Amino acid sequence: MTTVLKVEGLKKSFGTKVALTGIDFEVQQGEIFALIGPNGAGKTTTLRIVSTLLSPSGGKVTFLGHDLKKEPEKIRENISYLPEEAGAYRNMRGTDYLKFMANFYAGNGEKAEEIIRRAEAIAELGTALKDKVGTYSKGMVRKLLLARALMTKPPMAVLDEPTSGLDVINSLEVREIIKRFAKEGISVLLSSHNMLEIEFLSDRVALIDKGRILDTGTSQALKDKYQAPNLEVVFRSALR
Amino acid sequence: MKKFSNLLYKEIRDLINKQLVMSLLMMVVIFYFIGEMTKSEMKKAAATQKISVLDLDQSALSRGLASSLKTANFKVEWSQEKDTEAAVQAARQGETYILLVIPKGFEASVDRVEPTEISTYTFLRSFSMGGMTKSEVLRAVIAATNAYLSDDVLKKKVPDVSPDILKTPIKSKDYIIVRNKMAEGSASAISGYVFSQSFIIPIILFFIIFYSSQMVISAIAMEKQNKTLETLLTVPISRTAVVTTKMLAAGIVGLLSAAIYMIGMKSYMGGITGNIRASAAMTGVIKQLGLTLSGNGYVLLGIALFFAILCGLAMATILGVLAEDFRSAQTLMLPIMLMILIPYLLSFFVDVQSLPLPAKLLIMAIPFSHPFLATPNMMLGRYPAVIYGILYMAVVFFVLVFIAARIFSTDRVLTMKLRWGKKKVVL
Repeated sequence: MTTVLKVEGLKKSFGTKVALTGIDFEVQQGEIFALIGPNGAGKTTTLRIVSTLLSPSGGKVTFLGHDLKKEPEKIRENISYLPEEAGAYRNMRGTDYLKFMANFYAGNGEKAEEIIRRAEAIAELGTALKDKVGTYSKGMVRKLLLARALMTKPPMAVLDEPTSGLDVINSLEVREIIKRFAKEGISVLLSSHNMLEIEFLSDRVALIDKGRILDTGTSQALKDKYQAPNLEVVFRSALR
Repeated sequence: MKKFSNLLYKEIRDLINKQLVMSLLMMVVIFYFIGEMTKSEMKKAAATQKISVLDLDQSALSRGLASSLKTANFKVEWSQEKDTEAAVQAARQGETYILLVIPKGFEASVDRVEPTEISTYTFLRSFSMGGMTKSEVLRAVIAATNAYLSDDVLKKKVPDVSPDILKTPIKSKDYIIVRNKMAEGSASAISGYVFSQSFIIPIILFFIIFYSSQMVISAIAMEKQNKTLETLLTVPISRTAVVTTKMLAAGIVGLLSAAIYMIGMKSYMGGITGNIRASAAMTGVIKQLGLTLSGNGYVLLGIALFFAILCGLAMATILGVLAEDFRSAQTLMLPIMLMILIPYLLSFFVDVQSLPLPAKLLIMAIPFSHPFLATPNMMLGRYPAVIYGILYMAVVFFVLVFIAARIFSTDRVLTMKLRWGKKKVVL
């Protein structure tokens, strides 16, 4: 297995407020790695740092050999980030939005067309893609954004609460899409409050609280270690 | 370059929306119609005017006075009423704007060189400029009539001396000096004419700077409100390009909007100032004094305006980062608006050069002051002041762009928020 992302002693502070105290983890190629923890644990901050949105206060992040501090552009070329509450441009049609985003990654028109076709297949929004994004439901916007994140087949997708606010059907569809792409070799770093979702999706899990990682392992290994029936109980036991 | 043009195209499309196009079109149409209506009113005012005359004297002099009105472009309608009250009543019901009443004994009174009174009644049927012009024209006619009557009396009393010498024994020849140039003419007339021809420039400047700044601040705020900024900042394009495209798009659309706005404004102002035509003599004096902008002058004014727009855009970019949503962005426009309004209003009423030094420095420190001051400065030959102003704005712009680029390349673009004393940090 090839390590694509290596996070070592990652720290982050906002003024006097410490968000991350020095966390370490690695993500392998084609692996779905999940961060689970309560609100304010540091999940979003970690994902934002890996996506180059925030700069670390300490520690080191390396992606495919590129240092995040020194080569943020290289990281941006290879990582797709889906923020938790992301939106799309309301005055654009779905296809125009995908085209706009594809143009940042495609070297030519042919490549862009290929990326857009892939995105249309992921989103499964059919003729609705010709409508303005402003008319979409929350689930449709989320699917469009997920398609945008995966359409370039990036080496890694960083997904913050990918099913946040979605109904059961849409959540299932989104999870299946993520699974399918991971099988194709895309690494996924995601965060979620939903422990059942994490158990279904992830290959490995990191339990995070108050800016530190409590434990890391596969869902099964963690359940065995803490002798717990599910990840929710694992998390409570780890906190003790 | 492809990524840059992709983003620039998106930014321009974001700004040119239905609301903008509709509001600009509406504005042009409304201004055009107001301008056309004003123009037609002014034409009516300048055309032959009806005047009712009640001649109670029925003398040669009273008839002479009435015929002098005809030569002053009035169409005289003789009132057949017996007294003033009836004549006023009749005129009130008709369409006459002015009634002139020549009293009985008018000619005899003039012959005795006694003060003579004629009465005029102006029917103010509207407060439009046309209505005001009518009474002003009548007043000029009465002044001319007075001159005619007094000349007539003086000629009879002192036949050997010209009435003009008796009435104005001291003659004045007025000269205006602008720097090293001198011409004969009235300073107030020249100032009035120059003002009427150049007062539109500050209005143009105001709208261009205001529009562009508002567009960029709103564009950034909307990215935040619609939660699209985070995604945009993670695509493979430099942060500097993100800032630059927003500023460039706002600059282009701002200039375009201002141009369209000015087309409407020109129709509107054309209706009001269309009747102000410089006589050949006045044009000569203005040229002689160098009170016109040369080709180089317009280039300098353009450069000054360009840098003022850039300063506005850079300031708006920084303030846009502080905005949480579209509404808060409108509030954050306040400092920029004040900085534009101060020199805008001052340019109409005050000569900045004559202000005390602290006030002068304060105004000069506002980058937007310099394009407003550029036109009068160039007309008065103060070219170094214009060039220093441009250099100052260039320095301010580069400092602001540096700050904006720094903000966009750090966490601050996401964490900076003006929350009036509260700090918000997302973990």
